[in-house]
Amino acid sequence: MSGAGDDAPVLRVEDLSVEFRVRGAWWPAVRGLSFVVARNETLALVGESGCGKSITALSVMGLVPRPQGRIGGGRILFEGRDVAAMPEAELERLRGDRMAMIFQEPMTSLNPVLSVGFQVSEALRVHRGIDAAAADAEALRLLEEVKIPSARRRFADYPHQFSGGMRQRVMIAMAIALKPALLLADEPTTALDVTIQAQVLGLLADLKSVQGMSMLFITHNLGVVAAIADRVAVMYAGEIVEVAPVARIFSAPVHPYTEALFRAIPRIDRAEQSLDAIGGQVPPIDRMPQGCRFAPRCPARRASCEASAQALVEVAPGHEVRCGVRAPAGAMAA
Amino acid sequence: MLWYVAKRLLAAMPTLVAVLTVVFVIVRIIPGDPALTVLGDQATPQALAALREKLGIDKPLLAQYLDFISAALTGDLGRSLVSGRPVINEVVAVLPHTLDLTISSLVLGTVLGVPLGVWAALRRNRLADYVIRIVSLVGLSFPVFVSGIFLLMVFALHYRLFPVIGTANLSDLGDRTWKLVLPTITLGLVMVAYITRVTRSAMLQVLSEDYVRTARAKGVPARLVIRRHALRNALIPVVTVVGLYLGINIGNSVLTEIVFNRPGLGKVIVTALNQRDYAMLQGLMVIYCFLIVVTNLLTDLAYGLIDPRVKQA
Repeated sequence: MSGAGDDAPVLRVEDLSVEFRVRGAWWPAVRGLSFVVARNETLALVGESGCGKSITALSVMGLVPRPQGRIGGGRILFEGRDVAAMPEAELERLRGDRMAMIFQEPMTSLNPVLSVGFQVSEALRVHRGIDAAAADAEALRLLEEVKIPSARRRFADYPHQFSGGMRQRVMIAMAIALKPALLLADEPTTALDVTIQAQVLGLLADLKSVQGMSMLFITHNLGVVAAIADRVAVMYAGEIVEVAPVARIFSAPVHPYTEALFRAIPRIDRAEQSLDAIGGQVPPIDRMPQGCRFAPRCPARRASCEASAQALVEVAPGHEVRCGVRAPAGAMAA
Repeated sequence: MLWYVAKRLLAAMPTLVAVLTVVFVIVRIIPGDPALTVLGDQATPQALAALREKLGIDKPLLAQYLDFISAALTGDLGRSLVSGRPVINEVVAVLPHTLDLTISSLVLGTVLGVPLGVWAALRRNRLADYVIRIVSLVGLSFPVFVSGIFLLMVFALHYRLFPVIGTANLSDLGDRTWKLVLPTITLGLVMVAYITRVTRSAMLQVLSEDYVRTARAKGVPARLVIRRHALRNALIPVVTVVGLYLGINIGNSVLTEIVFNRPGLGKVIVTALNQRDYAMLQGLMVIYCFLIVVTNLLTDLAYGLIDPRVKQA
């Protein structure tokens, strides 16, 4: 479809900036963002609330809320085509077909006045133009695939008759209906109980291996990251501060923010501990520091940090860090 | 759905009996002796007693109540103290005129108001939205007797397109429709304004819901997202307002009826008030409440059609 080879990444984001209007001026909520998602790969996007994770996913889908938000610059190459420059009609053909998204809130993400079966079959009808009976049959198969108990009986039920975990399964069934190349999952388990969380994560991992899709998985839960991700990108205040394979980011985090994130997880193997919350807050969008955006909260801060913006520097193969102290430019580890 | 309809119908019955009870109590509370009101100060005690017996108000209160309820439930609402004709006949004679006007103005309001409201919501804070909001505010602020007289002056007197006198011959459909046009526009414009505003705010709220984003994420084309996913949810508050105004308009069309010289329920009520025709008023109150109960029933049924959650409850 794209003409690109099999080893070409499904998604390549280049220097993306997404801006929001605050008091009459446009401010970047995400800036200079670049990353790739390879075929069959799961990239986890990690960071605090408000760091731009969800906005990144919405940009890929072409769903940045307008008129208060807009893509300010950069390219989003999905299967070789720039989504950011695409007209809405063309985006509509991609959405739900080649790329799909699961949202955080299963309780409000389904339409209360349409039956669950219809909502699952809708994408099939819209994109494939197949008749209602065939779409319903396929939707039923999908509901069974995501393990909705007695799916046939519940096909015509409405969302309010489903629990949160079941609704998220319905959302997943909707998203995978057309076997997308890329699945964007925006904190799909955050609103669920821990046991249901594990089930949903297991389901996503199964589907991914069966269907061979790539996933951009957004979460602030590092336990979830360890369970599902191949690579991890840590975001802070609209920028990626560290990218590394999942094993490496857990064993050898470099950026002070990544370190701080890990220190903020309670450990079951230690008897006594004080949780280290990260002091301070993410700076507001219209008052970003000039230099390193984490500098005001950073324990390793030096005077030079606040002077100029930091660049992403490769410290090991596949491991990049945006920190002038820990990873100064031109100092790649052997 | 059938079960839901049956439940709603059953639930309407106690409401109706409660309404009848309240009407009964109100009429008994009103100071003064109805017999004295009818016959005047000069009446002999024998004449008064005879009339009281005829009206049934010499019986104990409970017996009067049971008489009233059982008569009302069989459609007997008593007779006018002035004309002596049964209340129900007076009402049936004018009800078609009232329903014509109420329903046609409501249809006009919905057919214009819903699309305008959706359009305004989609063009939020842009020119179309401002124009629609201002025009609907003007429409709401214009009293019916001003806009009605204005329409009469322009389209009945100056251009002579429509008749000045609105009493229609009910058996002549052409005549009935022709005489309905100006009153419908008069009353309908107010409805358009109301429905536009309600639809706009409901649409704005619904458009920011997560499920609208989900529908877009599925690749559903924008037009279908608006119609199938957003509008259907936005119609729930619109139905509430339409139902409310359907009820209110049955009684409130009186101004329009006077301006266009149409017969109607509103005019009958005003006449009965002016003549202090208590028996007539009691019957009219019952009819009016009955119509409101029916309207609410229809509104509930419409909810059931739109929102599956309602059928459950």
